Amino acid sequence: MEPPKIWRERREKYLALGILCQECKRKSFPITLYCPHCSSENISELKLAQTGKILHFTRVTQTAEELMLYAPYIIGLVELDDGIKVTGQITDTKLEDLTEGMKVRMVFRILSKNGEEGLIGYGFKFVLI
Amino acid sequence: MSKREVYIIGYGITKFGEHYELNPSSSASQALSKAIQDAKISKDLIQSLYFGSMVSNRNNQSYIGGKACRECNLNIPITKVDVGNASGAGAFHQAFIAIKSGLLECIAILGTEKLSDFVNSSTLEKILGGTIDYQWEFEQGATLTSLYAWMSQAHMKEFNTTMEQLASVPVKNHKNGVNNPIAQFRREISLKRFLSAKRISPPIGRFDPATHCDGSAAVIIASKEFVENHSEIERKVKVVGSAQSSDKISLHHRETLSSLLATQITSKKAYEMAQISSKDISIAEVHDSYPIGEILAIEDLGFFQKGEGGKATVEGKTQLNSDISINTSGGLKARGDPFGATGIAQIIEIVQQMRREADKRQVDDIKYGLTQNVMGTGASVLVHILSNMEDDK
Amino acid sequence: MSKLGIVSYGSYIPKYRISIEEIAKVWDDDPNEIISQLQVFSKSVPGPDEDVATMSVEAARNTISRWKGNPQDVGAIYVGSESHPYAVKPTATIVAAAIDAEKELTAADLEFACKAGTAGMQMCFGLVKSEMIKFGLAIGSDDSQAKPRDPLEYTAGAGSAAFLIGKERVVAELEGTYSITTDTPDFWRREGAVFPSHGNRFTGQPAYFQHTVDASKGLMEKLGTKPSDYNHVTFHQPNTKFPLTVAKMLGFTTDQIDISLICKNIGNAYSASSMLGLAHILNNSNPGDRIFMTSYGSGAGSDAFSFSITDEIEELKSYPLTVEHYLNNKEQINYGKYSRYKGILR
Ligand SMILES: [Zn+2]
Repeated sequence: MEPPKIWRERREKYLALGILCQECKRKSFPITLYCPHCSSENISELKLAQTGKILHFTRVTQTAEELMLYAPYIIGLVELDDGIKVTGQITDTKLEDLTEGMKVRMVFRILSKNGEEGLIGYGFKFVLI
Repeated sequence: MSKREVYIIGYGITKFGEHYELNPSSSASQALSKAIQDAKISKDLIQSLYFGSMVSNRNNQSYIGGKACRECNLNIPITKVDVGNASGAGAFHQAFIAIKSGLLECIAILGTEKLSDFVNSSTLEKILGGTIDYQWEFEQGATLTSLYAWMSQAHMKEFNTTMEQLASVPVKNHKNGVNNPIAQFRREISLKRFLSAKRISPPIGRFDPATHCDGSAAVIIASKEFVENHSEIERKVKVVGSAQSSDKISLHHRETLSSLLATQITSKKAYEMAQISSKDISIAEVHDSYPIGEILAIEDLGFFQKGEGGKATVEGKTQLNSDISINTSGGLKARGDPFGATGIAQIIEIVQQMRREADKRQVDDIKYGLTQNVMGTGASVLVHILSNMEDDK
Repeated sequence: MSKLGIVSYGSYIPKYRISIEEIAKVWDDDPNEIISQLQVFSKSVPGPDEDVATMSVEAARNTISRWKGNPQDVGAIYVGSESHPYAVKPTATIVAAAIDAEKELTAADLEFACKAGTAGMQMCFGLVKSEMIKFGLAIGSDDSQAKPRDPLEYTAGAGSAAFLIGKERVVAELEGTYSITTDTPDFWRREGAVFPSHGNRFTGQPAYFQHTVDASKGLMEKLGTKPSDYNHVTFHQPNTKFPLTVAKMLGFTTDQIDISLICKNIGNAYSASSMLGLAHILNNSNPGDRIFMTSYGSGAGSDAFSFSITDEIEELKSYPLTVEHYLNNKEQINYGKYSRYKGILR
């Protein structure tokens, strides 16, 4: 990944941020300039819940070069305790050990690495509680 | 809406597969020149080219339509349409609108892709990452295959769809593909083979996804007035419906994963335009890039009740000359999937069927035929309806 | 006057473990001999998606969550490690962003073999005491590399520990700190080299033992304390034998050092080693307890600390992600997986 992108996205990728609309009071993810529900600009940053449950999960064997070091890995659709749904890896586990509905907790991990010399992309993943 | 009628007056298509020896522009010009020949009109009558290609810019020639036009000795406006891996149908839709508007009379539409140059599959996975939410799905680790796995799981859970029902989709499509001379894979694959293959992204098995390949497809479309003024045009197929709609690009923003909302909305618009219902469709080419894709399609297009798609498929209700013939061409699965070319290839299959050129895969008594082309996981869907009915004059 | 000391603490140990037996099998070594020499049974191994930055962030987040304070109040972050993911580009800035402490703070990466983390603690004590900052976060974190077949391979583990230093709601008051530094080349890694080199038996007597003993004695002399004044003690743990021996040399009992000996299960966590021992002790301590710590870093130096536990400790002990949690949350892997996770297989 290129420096401006890593820099721009660091807070939302590291901290898992969404927005809370001050107009319609609805939460959404990711950060946008306008509330995706009511188009209001009157929004504030929201820290997403750090725990949730797995709705769907499967294995990824083939992906972009910068993620292949970690493959095969598990990708999950997680519903956080605040109701927000996010896509993220379930790390430190195996497909056989997972079932739908399992509780997970957000952790900070490497998402991608640009070869031996490029920047390291960090972000959130999940581990089983 | 404009009453101006639109006809497909010619088509050209290359063999789909791995054509290492062929330049991207040679593949494109082959389809284009075949289409012009098939239309029997002078190429000077073609006013514009709309082309759809998702990956051409990665082969260092984003304006591949320009090279194809030079090779076919055409000097016309050229426009690239990008709807990801549904760019073929996207280009068709835009050309249809151009004729409907009354501004143009005769347009060439080209869908082309040259994917065999990407020998490292990671490169294509990354390109396909652009059809899903790149930042919050792909960079998080999701791929197109893994997201289709979730959709399969959702359907299996909600409607008790079985692995056997899912696998019966590619079994049928490979059977149809045997009789399609341009298909990449012209051989049958047994249900057992699909079911016993390694699950790459459970429940998706190794042989389930359609193969990404090379291929080009082109059609010439014209207004009714143009057709009437050019007696050299021998065969024509009427386009009675053309629609597109979108859904949220990320699965984590959708209410349900067991339906494609965009397919439901788009088909409703297309049926309304054609003034028909799903019952009137006898043949359809749908986006079966993964088995669940076809099951979602035949339900969301209204051919079968929600949740009945898997059962209908396993019971043979979608095979050649049954209740409704789905993917007589072999679908993306057996024909191969050169993204931008697929949408046009789907339309060409319906044209061939209506012109009774489909040989051993010919379906009888076709009234209306439909195509459904999907971008990514359904962020954008295009539906086209062609008619075989005699014009009421 | 308000107390100066540790306000909160957090730790992180990766999930994977490789046993001494599994490594010995590869090199046809006798595992029993090695286990009896080192008194280490397994070592921790980070997953392929972990490095010093991710482990530092986990320990830092556990520190902040346990504390329940505002990360914006953190005025300094120091990450001590000999395995920072970047040679140039700080780990500390990644930690700052990941705990939402940007941007009014000072930060730096430190390197002093296995004592860079405790050096960071001293810097934070200084900054807080001089009132230049309100709170400082010192982290020791390592994902140490060992050349296959090198004796180090049996113990080079991974982990991370963090301490928040401040003057409000102090759980462990600093009674004093004292350091020893000499130019002793017992262990080194040249710029650009993948694996460290070491002086074998030279790393013992003139290096580890001399510095640890001198710093410990020096601090006790300064404070007028003796080993029996302390409830718990933690030393740097390159293996389990060294801290046990040094404890004996100084006059500490096995009971005093026992809790700190995490090395048995996770090996040598380098910069995090003595600090993980301290975090584990804090979570098992009671108000009024006195705690002694001496780190050791090759090259060489030792930082000694004396702490007194306050009533505030009870508040923090219930936080679930403890050293104990991470010690128990484990999965054994074989040498093949180990090679892949450590990047030895490419
Ligand atoms: Zn709103």
